[in-house]
Amino acid sequence: MNSYKFEDISVGMTGCFTVTVTDEMLTQFREISGDVNPLHNSEEFAKARGYKSRVVFGMLCASLYSTLAGVYLPGENCLLHEVDTKFKKPVFVGDTLTIEGVVIEKSEAVRQITLKAVIKNQTNEVVNKATIKAGVLG
Amino acid sequence: MNRAEILSQVTEILRGIFDDEELEVTDATTAADVEDWDSLEQINILVAMEKQFHVKFSVGDVEGLKDVGEMIDLIASKMA
Repeated sequence: MNSYKFEDISVGMTGCFTVTVTDEMLTQFREISGDVNPLHNSEEFAKARGYKSRVVFGMLCASLYSTLAGVYLPGENCLLHEVDTKFKKPVFVGDTLTIEGVVIEKSEAVRQITLKAVIKNQTNEVVNKATIKAGVLG
Repeated sequence: MNRAEILSQVTEILRGIFDDEELEVTDATTAADVEDWDSLEQINILVAMEKQFHVKFSVGDVEGLKDVGEMIDLIASKMA
């Protein structure tokens, strides 16, 4: 886990990690969230609506922004303030996602950084975009 | 920019942040007067002020602000 202090961070700094979405992740997310919508849980339902298979919960993908900020940039000194996200394209089980963030703004007075972040799949398509605001403690 | 113009722009920023076009703001307005004005919104307000007025605050500048009037004084001093 990274442990950047506010002073260590500069505009343009980046963080990045990769995750492959598993069936178990969908099961766990369904149990935690209670979202039993069949688009995420039934192959038959998803295919009938034109998708190749079940669509991964958008909020499961967005939860990876928590990891980006809380583990990578700034890491353990993070206090997440705001995530503004857009779900651009569907994600499926087996997709390998790369989560990338870049610092676009630093506010000294309130010790807050703003990240522009994207999630890309294995074919380099942007499946999700976000603006993340995080306080940097310590 | 004079004090009244700063107050007018500060009012517009606060109305936008709190999504309340009726919000009346004076020098005496404090966080206690606006229901949703908590510590997280305080951060959003200060960042919005920095952008709107093209100024930069330090921690020391903002930690003792008591009301909107002091915020306007701070902005005016930074713009001077």
